[in-house]
Amino acid sequence: MEYILDVQNIHTFIGQYHILQGVDVRVPKGSITALLGRNGAGKTTTLKSIIGLTPPREGKVIYEGKEVQDMRSFDIASKGIGFVPEHRAIFRDLTVEENLKIAERVKGDYLRKKEFIFDLFPDLKRLMALSGTALSGGQQQMLAIARALVADNHLLLIDEPSEGLAPVIIEHMMKAIRLLSKDSTIVLVEQNFLVASQLAEYYVIIEEGRSVQAGSMKDLANDKAAIHRYLGAA
Amino acid sequence: MSSYFRKNYVLLITLSVIAALFVAAAQGMEKKDFVITLLRGLSVGSLTFLVASGFSLIFGLLDVLNLAHGTLFMIGAYIGWTVFVRPDTFVDLLTPLALILSGFALGDVYPLLATRIRLGLSVKRILPWALVLVSILIFGFILPRYPISIWDVENYGQSPVTYSFMADQGTRLLAPVAAFTEISAPLALIGLLLASIIGAFGLSLFNSVTQQQFKLNWKNYAGFAILLLVALLTFIFNESLTASLTGLSSNWLFVIAVLVATLSGAGLGALIESTLIRPLYIRPIYQLMLTLGMSAIGIEIVRAIWGRPEFVMPKPVFFNGSGGVCPATNFADWWANNCSTILLLDGRVRVYNEIFIPIVGLVVLISIWMLLQRTRLGMVIRAGVQDREMVEALGINVRRVFTMVFALGVGLAALGGILAAPSMGLSNAMGESLFLNALIALAIGGLTNYPGAALGSVLVGLIQQFIIKYGQIGIAIPFTDIIFKPTPPLVPASTVLLMVIILLILPNGLLGKKE
Amino acid sequence: MTQQINSRLSAFFSTHRAALFTLLVLILLPFIVGLMDGESPMMVFANESGNSKFAQGLAIEIFILALYALSFDLIFGITGMLSFGHSMFFGVGAYLTGIAIKTFGLSLPATLGLVFIAAIVQAILFGLVLPRVKGITFALVTLGLGSVFHIVVMSSELGPYTGADVGLQGVIVPAFISPANERLRFYFIALTILILVYLIYKRFVDSPTGRVCVAIRENEGRARMLGYNTFYFKLAALTLSSLTAALAGFMHTLYQPIVSPNIAGMGFTVTALLIILIGGVGTLSGALVGAVVYRLLDFGLRRYIGESASFISGAVYVLFVLFIPFGIVGTWKMKSLQIKQGWQRIQKLFG
Repeated sequence: MEYILDVQNIHTFIGQYHILQGVDVRVPKGSITALLGRNGAGKTTTLKSIIGLTPPREGKVIYEGKEVQDMRSFDIASKGIGFVPEHRAIFRDLTVEENLKIAERVKGDYLRKKEFIFDLFPDLKRLMALSGTALSGGQQQMLAIARALVADNHLLLIDEPSEGLAPVIIEHMMKAIRLLSKDSTIVLVEQNFLVASQLAEYYVIIEEGRSVQAGSMKDLANDKAAIHRYLGAA
Repeated sequence: MSSYFRKNYVLLITLSVIAALFVAAAQGMEKKDFVITLLRGLSVGSLTFLVASGFSLIFGLLDVLNLAHGTLFMIGAYIGWTVFVRPDTFVDLLTPLALILSGFALGDVYPLLATRIRLGLSVKRILPWALVLVSILIFGFILPRYPISIWDVENYGQSPVTYSFMADQGTRLLAPVAAFTEISAPLALIGLLLASIIGAFGLSLFNSVTQQQFKLNWKNYAGFAILLLVALLTFIFNESLTASLTGLSSNWLFVIAVLVATLSGAGLGALIESTLIRPLYIRPIYQLMLTLGMSAIGIEIVRAIWGRPEFVMPKPVFFNGSGGVCPATNFADWWANNCSTILLLDGRVRVYNEIFIPIVGLVVLISIWMLLQRTRLGMVIRAGVQDREMVEALGINVRRVFTMVFALGVGLAALGGILAAPSMGLSNAMGESLFLNALIALAIGGLTNYPGAALGSVLVGLIQQFIIKYGQIGIAIPFTDIIFKPTPPLVPASTVLLMVIILLILPNGLLGKKE
Repeated sequence: MTQQINSRLSAFFSTHRAALFTLLVLILLPFIVGLMDGESPMMVFANESGNSKFAQGLAIEIFILALYALSFDLIFGITGMLSFGHSMFFGVGAYLTGIAIKTFGLSLPATLGLVFIAAIVQAILFGLVLPRVKGITFALVTLGLGSVFHIVVMSSELGPYTGADVGLQGVIVPAFISPANERLRFYFIALTILILVYLIYKRFVDSPTGRVCVAIRENEGRARMLGYNTFYFKLAALTLSSLTAALAGFMHTLYQPIVSPNIAGMGFTVTALLIILIGGVGTLSGALVGAVVYRLLDFGLRRYIGESASFISGAVYVLFVLFIPFGIVGTWKMKSLQIKQGWQRIQKLFG
């Protein structure tokens, strides 16, 4: 199998705290891979370590065959990785349009991708001139994802897309993510096991800063013991 | 609409109280006094704004409280003065400065060089220090021997004060031309270039080398080539350049002085950010201390170079005319005679201080606003103020933006300095008092809020000037015969009092966002 | 019984060896300097002018600076409040002492009482703004308050009282502690005060109140979540700090012939920052070490370099920030194990 992203035994510190103590994640090209685990297990830190916001002290992050763990964040992102942070961190002082424009990596990205984004999230079209503060939670999440689509990204890192959203909007979001996975590979951090199991083909379970189990989502759905042990869900 | 009132009633009440005070203050004086005081307030407000806006941009994006901002304002003033009054010194300085900078212009080349050289671990550790040391030694040897026709702080006949006074009288004194004596010219030039390259290489080795793929093209060498060319040309045509600059009218010299001061301010800012501030982003409180230390060092440098006495920079002739029809009563008269003062509603207004400076302030206000709102850089800055990490994760090199914003902020302060030099005069303390003004203005307006910086600066300027004016004419206290004259110490005290009151009512300032 | 006391005593001596040694040196310092210069201890007792008297004077200045720096370390290093108006705490003590003695002819104890009352009032004044403003805004407000005080002191209207920009002079100090004639006595009084204050500070930082102050520095939100009303703890730290700084100011006025208005300016706050930065922020003993290094460095530079001394001290300051951010004491504490091992290795080499 061809892996677009190969995270090998990374150790990440935040301040003095040893947050990640050996995480391996392998992401096959074109798949949706979910990072699962309890609160505070280190899923978000894993995503941030991949994109270089919390650079790992040890281990390797190999993206498209190149080691990127020592690079600066913007360099890594420029190689074609889109990041959708948790808590829908859009730029609230910018308008919706500016939020999209700022993600341009090559001039003209925004104009090129505009139609595609509006097809995916028709709501955004009529909100263009509003500032980020005026958006509802679901709209903010759509904008955060849309922002990662402006530039040509081959890999999307999406952190908690369903967090705090109404079921109807979660449905919509899942549909959008499925559509996106046709063109790009997606790594998903998801608390909601139901959502994750419906979307992802592969999974990695992270427990106390270590990756403890990985495989195909179909196998996990039948492995009630593992679900109970690591995720606490029924 | 009503919800807006409910949300912001504290702000609205505060603003209306300030407005009422202002109207009351206007009632108490004659119309001509009022006009002059208003314009003076705007003038001080504009200068304050130039310092405050840069400071607030830097604080907003970088989270660095640049306490050296006032000192940099002062340095801008002194640099501008030098260019204006002593073109010969300026031309003499161009060559060595261009050479010193040229090595640093090769910044992208060094990491590549470093990866090419294979060395033992212990050598690798010592090498940067050794290189920097060698570079400092060479500089220390050559620079004192490099001839620059400068003033003599100790000697009254050739002190900055005298040069400034003579320029005001219309003669530009020039010191005798200094020549190479102890060291031959080519040796000095090549030595400076070499020391610069060695030093820049050494400094670049301190940063951990990342595995970046460098593609070197002509752009990496362009800056180097341009600086080298500038150095050579200014060296060869030194005398003719000096002659032509001295021959220029003081208007053009003033324009050049403003440009040079602003640009060197920006350059200094970029240098400070990339060398001193950058290693300390992980320890914010130490940045504060660093800028404090830089401020002290800056004042000492100014004292060493320009001395302690205060002096005034002459105004360019465009604002310094006098003659039959002056003070001018209308625009045409003023334009024809370049009167230094103009009559406005019976008030005698100094054109440079009270009209030109506020106009520049307004132009800067609008252009920075446009930069922030209309350009991609501005968008990145606004986004970065809110969430730096996310901007970086979008593939934008935030550090480069940091350097640019720091350069912009310091450049603005230096611009304020050179503009203030003809009106406020030059002194070792000019930065401190204006910086205090700017801090108060920002605290009033909201620390990272751009319109807030403008509002706060204007408020501070107006309050100070009105109190100064009332110090002269006195306030009649209602229902009594007592006339109260605010004394000079009340001027700064009043703005501080306003700041404390406003911060107690609105802890984030008038326009600052609630956390 | 005696055995128990003995063992306790020996334990006390062994744990505080360095401190006790320093204390001994400080007590003997005037006599050692005297002996080195050929003066007998009797001459030192008689306060005859010479190197010993000069050294005492320098040491007194260091003690006063150390007191002042300690008070700043308490609110900045321990409690985490960055105040840019700290020189006001010192200035109020200094000027009030001068004015009370010179203009109103108060006795020394009455003056000291007045100074302490003023210090408490002042701490409450700073405390008033505390609940509203935090962090940078607190720094700005205190900067504002401090500069207003500086301006008031400098104003010519108050010239008869404060001496305006010339400085306050002509304060007649009671003969029994006159720094000119009874400097040795002054020296020991200053030393005693410094030691007492240092011990009080140590006790305060180790007390539950002090621990909450440290918690406030680390994370005020969490300290409040634990149920502490952080305002009172900050106010306590401010009050103690204000009292100490005012005491330092009180001693400064008694010791110096002229009280320069510079001590009320921003520059003097920076001095405090500089001292605790050199010594180590938040370590208390760092303030003492820093004061010694700072004053001696300043003294030496002024003597041998002259005018541009403050340029060098500014550069030292920047270098400290960049390369020794934890100061002398802080770095010592962190590396003490390594340093000890290094010593042992050297001892092995020779033994």
